[in-house]
Amino acid sequence: MKHGIRVSVIIAVLSAVMIYWARTIQWMPVEASREAQPIDWLFGLHIDVITFLYVLVNGILVYSIIAFRRKKGEEEAVGANFHGHTKLEIFWTVIPLITVLFFAYLGTLVLNDISAAAADEMEVKVTARQWAWSFEYPEAGVKSTELYLPVGRKVKLTMVSQDVIHSFWVPEFRVKMDTVPGITTTLRITPDREGTYKVRCAELCGTAHAAMLGTIRVVSQEEFDQWLQGKQAPTNASELSPEELVTLGESTAQAAGCLACHSVDGSKSVGPTWKGLFGSERTLSDGTKVTADEAYLKESILEPKAKVVEGYPGIMPTNFGETLSELDIQALIAYIRSLK
Amino acid sequence: MKLGGRLLLGLIIGVVAGAVLYTVMRIILGMPAWAANPWPMVALALTTGSIGLLWGIEPSLGLARGLMGMVAGFVVGLLVTYVIRLVLGMDPAWKPEPAWVVGAVLGSLGFLLGVGVMTDWLRWTRGEKTPEQHGPPKGKPAWVRYFGADQNHKVIGVQYTVTGILLLGAAGTFAMIFRTELTNPGMDFLSADLFNTFISIHGIVMIASILMGIGGLMNYLVPLMLGANDMAFPRLNSFGFWVAVPGAILILMALFFGGWNTGWTGYAPLSVRGPLGIDFFMIGVFIFGFSSILGAVNLITTVLTMRAPGMSMFRMPIFVWAALATSLIQLTGTQFIGLSFLMVVLERLFHMGFYEPSLGGKVLLFQHLFWFYSHPAVYIFILPGLGIISELLPVFARKPLFGYKWIALSSMAIAILGFLVWAHHMFTSGMSASLRVPFMYSTMLVAVPTGVKFFSWLGTMWRGKLSFPTPMLFVLTSIAVFLIGGLTGPPLATVPTDLHLHDSYYVVGHFHATMFGGFVFPFFAALYFWFPKITGRMYNERLGKIHWFFQTVGFYTMSLYMMRAGLLGMRRRLVDYDPALGVAGFHHVITMAGWLIFLSVVVGVLNLAWSARRGPVAALNPWESRSPEWLLPSPVPEHNYEEPFEVVGEPYDYGIPDSVYVRMHSEPARAG
Amino acid sequence: MTATTQTHHQEAISPARRLVMNRVGLWMFIISETFLFSGILVSRFYLWGGTRPHLNQLLGMSVTLILVTSSFFANRAEVAIKYGDRKVFLRSILMTILLGLLFLVGVVGMEWPSAPVKPTMDGEFNVYGAVLFFMTGMHAFHVLTGVVLLAIVARLGARGHFHAEHFWGVEAAVIYWHFVDVVWVFFYPALYLMGTAVGPGH
Ligand code: HEA
Ligand code: HEA
Ligand code: HEC
Ligand code: CUA
Ligand SMILES: [Cu+2]
Repeated sequence: MKHGIRVSVIIAVLSAVMIYWARTIQWMPVEASREAQPIDWLFGLHIDVITFLYVLVNGILVYSIIAFRRKKGEEEAVGANFHGHTKLEIFWTVIPLITVLFFAYLGTLVLNDISAAAADEMEVKVTARQWAWSFEYPEAGVKSTELYLPVGRKVKLTMVSQDVIHSFWVPEFRVKMDTVPGITTTLRITPDREGTYKVRCAELCGTAHAAMLGTIRVVSQEEFDQWLQGKQAPTNASELSPEELVTLGESTAQAAGCLACHSVDGSKSVGPTWKGLFGSERTLSDGTKVTADEAYLKESILEPKAKVVEGYPGIMPTNFGETLSELDIQALIAYIRSLK
Repeated sequence: MKLGGRLLLGLIIGVVAGAVLYTVMRIILGMPAWAANPWPMVALALTTGSIGLLWGIEPSLGLARGLMGMVAGFVVGLLVTYVIRLVLGMDPAWKPEPAWVVGAVLGSLGFLLGVGVMTDWLRWTRGEKTPEQHGPPKGKPAWVRYFGADQNHKVIGVQYTVTGILLLGAAGTFAMIFRTELTNPGMDFLSADLFNTFISIHGIVMIASILMGIGGLMNYLVPLMLGANDMAFPRLNSFGFWVAVPGAILILMALFFGGWNTGWTGYAPLSVRGPLGIDFFMIGVFIFGFSSILGAVNLITTVLTMRAPGMSMFRMPIFVWAALATSLIQLTGTQFIGLSFLMVVLERLFHMGFYEPSLGGKVLLFQHLFWFYSHPAVYIFILPGLGIISELLPVFARKPLFGYKWIALSSMAIAILGFLVWAHHMFTSGMSASLRVPFMYSTMLVAVPTGVKFFSWLGTMWRGKLSFPTPMLFVLTSIAVFLIGGLTGPPLATVPTDLHLHDSYYVVGHFHATMFGGFVFPFFAALYFWFPKITGRMYNERLGKIHWFFQTVGFYTMSLYMMRAGLLGMRRRLVDYDPALGVAGFHHVITMAGWLIFLSVVVGVLNLAWSARRGPVAALNPWESRSPEWLLPSPVPEHNYEEPFEVVGEPYDYGIPDSVYVRMHSEPARAG
Repeated sequence: MTATTQTHHQEAISPARRLVMNRVGLWMFIISETFLFSGILVSRFYLWGGTRPHLNQLLGMSVTLILVTSSFFANRAEVAIKYGDRKVFLRSILMTILLGLLFLVGVVGMEWPSAPVKPTMDGEFNVYGAVLFFMTGMHAFHVLTGVVLLAIVARLGARGHFHAEHFWGVEAAVIYWHFVDVVWVFFYPALYLMGTAVGPGH
């Protein structure tokens, strides 16, 4: 009996200390959505139980190693003689059973909570393709390569994929959902912290999976409305100064995911670098040569397969025409042009 | 020196022959003699080179003939496909994908014919009788049998085990290659496609290595533990091992055919679009699957029909229960991974729209079929390992196994429950939302029988008299490591938390911990424990402890840092990660820890390899085990039990005076 | 090793026990195959749901009857050899093989070319074609192996290989044949009867 009491005390003390310590650790990135709160709470509870069970099993293990080790002069000694204990077995079947069922029950509650619809939720359509994200606001009729979200409002993302499976994940929001060819999936998020985040594609989707990032800007409602209006207003290149155009091009290149494959500093990447591209002579895969003028750049963006640069696979997405406006393309060309 | 010369000569002739064969084939098929892509030629030259090497050692090796058969099968397959397409007027007549697929299938068949595992069956179809073969081939040294079709379960067990270790080495090397790439953020020396190929091949080859490893343990140990002289179907047993070899070769060949970029899970539709390597991977796994299924048929039959007199189900050594539960999963589940991969290959070859939405197919079907096998498969990986833990603990605690029946039945419970939980890999897949909750509940239930095992192990150690030679140390860390792996399961099983954790490094940490704790550590425990039985010699205890120490430290560090990185947002299968997540330091540590594990395993393997020939002769029963195999001389004679034994007591009554488990008979008894 | 150990080893397992082991082994294999075919059936329901293509009902009914009848003859062959009646055994097994071949002709030779599931312009098959060819193809492959096994058994039988005490080869081939037959009993309604038929190339 004395062993039992001793090990119980050790485990009680140690697990209390360990649980306290584990609680001080910041396990996850910042919480930036309302959904993150119950999830983190549930995860914290999991950590408590894991810590306790870890200390329990390893406590008894280590205690046994020390207390019941074969000491010098005990070469022939044998252990105690018991084969089992049915009541004990039932005990450690039932208690874990209750524990895990309880967790599943909590999981159900939290799941219902975070996937519930809200009356005033805003819908955004998400389209994933190798290897870029694009977004559409059906109510406002706006298409964008960046996801702008007003803080504090629940959004319903309805998601499709144009080629293979991708997965929409913003670690700061905690939740994720795959985009699957052939079906539409939904995900609800209520961002509650302003800032810039990244959508990280979480399902292996081919060569540039690692680079499949999208930008999310969580802004105040006013800022959001402003942005939406700006998107709606018919702008054309002539309204902007050349510098503004280049700046716009730079942010478009960021947001549309071009920079996942193209570098702007001359280094090699999935696609050719943009540095010094404009005006240079390009050798195509069929051996012909063309000069990279505006028309060529535009064609390269809208129909990448038409002229494939020698030494590169023709894997650039072919549907930028659907998400980029004429202005975006002008801006991109201006930006590429500025990269001498 | 003479041997060295022959080896070199064989190697050179082989490589040259391969290159010539390749060029000739290209000319026959109407292609320019020199290819832009040299890799298929390298693959062929490697194969013919190893044939030459083996031929240099000993001209009659089954393995060499098998490889020759494989090359011949490939050649026939490529030519036949070409001719058929030519005759049918299909354009182009030379189309790589169908040709290589047919080549892979015929190549595997050629391997099996060449290695000789089908010879007896073919003779049966002509009504000939074939005697069971015993001992090495006539007039050859004893070691030759390990390289050919041998029907003795102990030889086959060693073949499985050694192949398992070789595959572990290959997969571990792949891991070190891509881990080195990941040490720092940025693209260092691997292209994205090469990186994806390496993680995928690391994953599947590791899994193949586990299946070989448990095949080795089960084949070697189960007949000995049951008091049988062999498995129920020795020819099938031999076939079961050798069919895995062309499977593994095909998987490795994928490297030379553009690799594959889908991970070991091969999700459609990405796998439908990927390079030719995917065909090799999937056909390889498909053929490997025969090994699992046929091995399971054999093992179940053995356990059901070949137990010694008096050995009721609940008097079997506990490892046999684990092997039985494992085999039940292998027998049934394996069909599903074969099915899901077969459908991908058919879709690739014939454009059959199983998974293509525009043709009415459904993407999620693949995942359901795949996980219906691949979740239960994870219990295939661990059940034998947990059986080893249960088997060894009483020996080193000198005390009965606590709750024998509970442990035995918990293996069965895990095996059966394992079939009801597959969709927990699909919580974010877009499957019907109403399915998520039931699968959350069912997944949670698996924790219960697993917990029973843990607590029973603690009960076994409690008030024992523990000693700590190398196998026991591995057993103890198995428990501690599998515990982290298991305990990190419930947060994955809870849907809301899994929405964050899915496809992150947390999952990577979870499954490395379960697989190391459930397989790698127990596997080494078993190797050290039965080493004196298998070889008759003792391994070096100090090197064993060094191996144990560094593997333990390295592993703990690696998996904990993986989980930590995942929680912070580190995704899986990433050639390049965002330093803004703050995980760069963790990756540094993971790589270092990986190298530590690698080196420790090399020490372990070298220790075993060296001791097998030079180690001190071992005592008859160095661990004072009660299990019947220790009543036999070491190494075990060709026919295990010249005198069948009878079971007269409980298997684990260690430390109980006058208790007897088995009694040897002198007169031949009828088993029943 | 020496010849003495070899004989010792072989006498350790009596023919009666060998038979039991063979039966257990064969049934294990069949359980495994059951999972394969259930997987295929599940895929059919997942992909087709409550629909099916327009198939030739008469043909479907006929091949089903043919295959079921063949099982009857297979059984007769097995019983006959267990009673040592070699003549009936041979005649029945040849009949089984014949019906099996007829089934293959019906499915592969007639159903495949006539089914309304032609490939598209790009050589693609929609789910109807894919599942139909996959189900019937996988089954036909098993029928073919069954026919080969029966043919081997018939040839050996013709040479006087089997008799009332030695019939495992026959029994194994026949059990396998019954199994392949039972699979079709599930496949037939799934392909021809269940769900509403949708237009060709739907
Ligand atoms: C050996 C292999 C192995 C084992 C044994 C397990 C065991 C478990 N696994 Fe794991 N798992 C994998 C290998 C394994 N897993 C692999 C390879 C993947 C990734 C595949 C891929 O995508 O590539 C994976 C992924 C995976 C997922 C999907 C994650 C995702 O991708 O989103 C989930 C989700 O539920 C999961 C859950 C579990 C659970 C609940 C157990 C349980 O069986 C664990 C039970 C054990 C314990 C809980 C500990 C002991 C119990 C006690 C001490 C009793 C008391 C306990 C409690 C009260 C909690 N696993
Ligand atoms: C048993 C299974 C097993 C084992 C042991 C390991 C071992 C290791 N694994 Fe592996 N791993 C998987 C199974 C396994 N892995 C699976 C299934 C995946 C998923 C793949 C996917 O996503 O598709 C994965 C994925 C995976 C990833 C994630 C990749 C990604 O998502 O980007 C990482 C990253 O660090 C990793 C690292 C390692 C490391 C460093 C080791 C080290 O422990 C390796 C150490 C080396 C050895 C153990 C070999 C020792 C050497 C010898 C034996 C040679 C001696 C021989 C002779 C002398 C003849 N693994
Ligand atoms: C998935 C990777 C990828 C993405 C994303 C991508 N590209 Fe490309 N791009 C390529 C590759 C590869 C090439 C070279 C092959 C070719 O010409 O098609 C290329 C070529 C080009 C060229 C011609 C360059 C030359 O050297 O002649 C232009 C211009 C270009 N891309 C612009 C863009 C713009 C603008 C975007 C974003 C809106 C973008 N790309 C997004 C991969 C990508
Ligand atoms: Cu898209 Cu990964
Ligand atoms: Cu699982």
